[in-house]
Amino acid sequence: MKKHNLLIFALLTGTAFILSLFIGQYSIHLADMGDPSSMSFRVFFTLRLPRTVMAALAGAGLALAGYVFQTLFSNPIAAPDIIGVSSGASAGAACMILLMGSHTLLTAGGAMLGGFLAVMLTIALAKQAGSDRTASFLLAGVAVNAIAQALLMLMKRSADPERQLASIEYWIMGSFASVTLSEVVPAAILALCGIVPLFLLSKTVSLLSLQTDEAQMLGVPVAAMRMIVLILTTLVVTSITSITGLISFIGLIAPHAARLIRKNNDRRTMLLSMLIGAVLVLVSDSIARSWGSSEIPISILTSLIGAPYLVFLLRKGGHTLD
Amino acid sequence: MRIQKIISILLTLVLLFSLTACAAGGTNAGEPIVITDHAGRTVEITETPETIVSGYYITTSLVIALGLEDKLVGIEAKAASRPIYSLAAPELLELPNVGTAKEFNLEACIELEPDLVILPLKLKGVAEQLGELDIPAICVNPENDTLLSETVDMISAATGTEETAEKLLAYSDDALSALSDTLKDADKPSVYLAGNSSYLSTAGAEMYQNTLLENAGCTNAAASVTDTYWAEISYEQLLEWNPEYIVIVPAASYTAEDILNDEALSGLSAVQNGQVYAMPADYESWDSPVPSAFMGSLWIASQIHGDLYSEADYAETLKDFYETFYDFAPNA
Repeated sequence: MKKHNLLIFALLTGTAFILSLFIGQYSIHLADMGDPSSMSFRVFFTLRLPRTVMAALAGAGLALAGYVFQTLFSNPIAAPDIIGVSSGASAGAACMILLMGSHTLLTAGGAMLGGFLAVMLTIALAKQAGSDRTASFLLAGVAVNAIAQALLMLMKRSADPERQLASIEYWIMGSFASVTLSEVVPAAILALCGIVPLFLLSKTVSLLSLQTDEAQMLGVPVAAMRMIVLILTTLVVTSITSITGLISFIGLIAPHAARLIRKNNDRRTMLLSMLIGAVLVLVSDSIARSWGSSEIPISILTSLIGAPYLVFLLRKGGHTLD
Repeated sequence: MRIQKIISILLTLVLLFSLTACAAGGTNAGEPIVITDHAGRTVEITETPETIVSGYYITTSLVIALGLEDKLVGIEAKAASRPIYSLAAPELLELPNVGTAKEFNLEACIELEPDLVILPLKLKGVAEQLGELDIPAICVNPENDTLLSETVDMISAATGTEETAEKLLAYSDDALSALSDTLKDADKPSVYLAGNSSYLSTAGAEMYQNTLLENAGCTNAAASVTDTYWAEISYEQLLEWNPEYIVIVPAASYTAEDILNDEALSGLSAVQNGQVYAMPADYESWDSPVPSAFMGSLWIASQIHGDLYSEADYAETLKDFYETFYDFAPNA
């Protein structure tokens, strides 16, 4: 049964991906797809396909980031938010919206910069407190989170309510509505630059969850590796959220679901959590864009679909992180 | 000699007092005015207010149109972002601000000792607090044409400016019915109204902006949207609607160029035909129910039905309206 889980979820991801390609507000005519100048062809390749790829990538990337953070900090509620990435990115995006108006690429750049700055600050603060303890990172993260939230509120307060405030709110709620080919390509390349090495480093990530001296005895340069893993994860999260805005809950829920299903912590569990993340976001986004004429913010759906699923798994299997 | 002097001074004072009492009685005309506001509250106004606070730009604009700008002692925050104030009543920019609908500054408002406070419905709680302090406060909710004219009625009754109010309402009614006569046989092309924060935000059938488009002789491309606030839509949805025209609201944070240069929208017929127009941002947010909102419909009609209703027709009404009610000449 255990072995089949990966296959089942791979098939589910594939199905959700293909279904997602056929769901949307524009009616694509299959007959026109042979003609590259037709509207159907252009909608499919510049909007539908990039959006679907971005949804799958976002789900997988955020799930991976959550998995890494939960392992690294041996903390079941660790998620990308915990070291300040999300709130840093929100503050960065809000800052750009205030300064430059709603320009997609500049907002994305601001979010990325904000996310990275927040993580750098967390790392610097943790170092002051002694970076060999994970608790220092978690507490530094809490502090940076609070600072970023305060800055965000300050910016929201001075924002023009009709233009800027609405843009900031929409950004924070997360959406794939304005994703086009020209944004997906750079975001996907950056995200993959983080996802692939993290996946290859999965063994080291597991070792980092041990006590520092134990890991060191096993030959892991703990401080350096922890830094590298943190930076790679931040790259994944910021490159995704800079385009989509915040997508809540995936980073928390997908790794837990994977662990509850597989009941261990190896590379396959990491892969399974990425697949679960991808399916959840693909399904949520398909609903977000087909429910009515207007878009439903993605985080509403990822939380509404993800939370009951987690509860179901908990009731079925009991908790196994420890 | 000394006693005579004192008596004469006393007499003068008595005379003065009785005169002012007469004057006050004169303007008061006896009965207090009772108003039921949009929050369902009964507000009693015993004397014609001499000092007014307006906590909302739609009502501030209305107060100017009713010729009461000199009575304003405080207005909403961020007044500098409204061009109409610097055009019609630049002195308003110097007034203390009482905050926004989200963060109303109750104490700053009380400090101004106003005789009347006009607030958006959202601030019903504040209105009740003011009421307990015997400061009359009216909550208004001008979200559509009917509610706007009710708002005009309430404020004009409270301030004794019914005559100007009647003229103001008749002006837009007449202009709109003349426009609908002019356009009665014209086609109704589909128009997509691009919102403030992004051109992927728009107003559906439930919103005031739908009336704006219908009055201009168009159909709202986004009529199927049922949200009661600006809704976010996808590129695909906009391509599916494929509107003939795109109209950008006055306070938008982007330009027509941005839409024309967006590759994802290059297949739209509005983009291919260059029919993307930004509403003038020089006066007021005509996409919201301000007294001059009908000018938004006239402007859209002049762009879309130019053969029937020309830009010159629009410019003429624009000039006449703002000269009549806001005492300045627009240079359109």
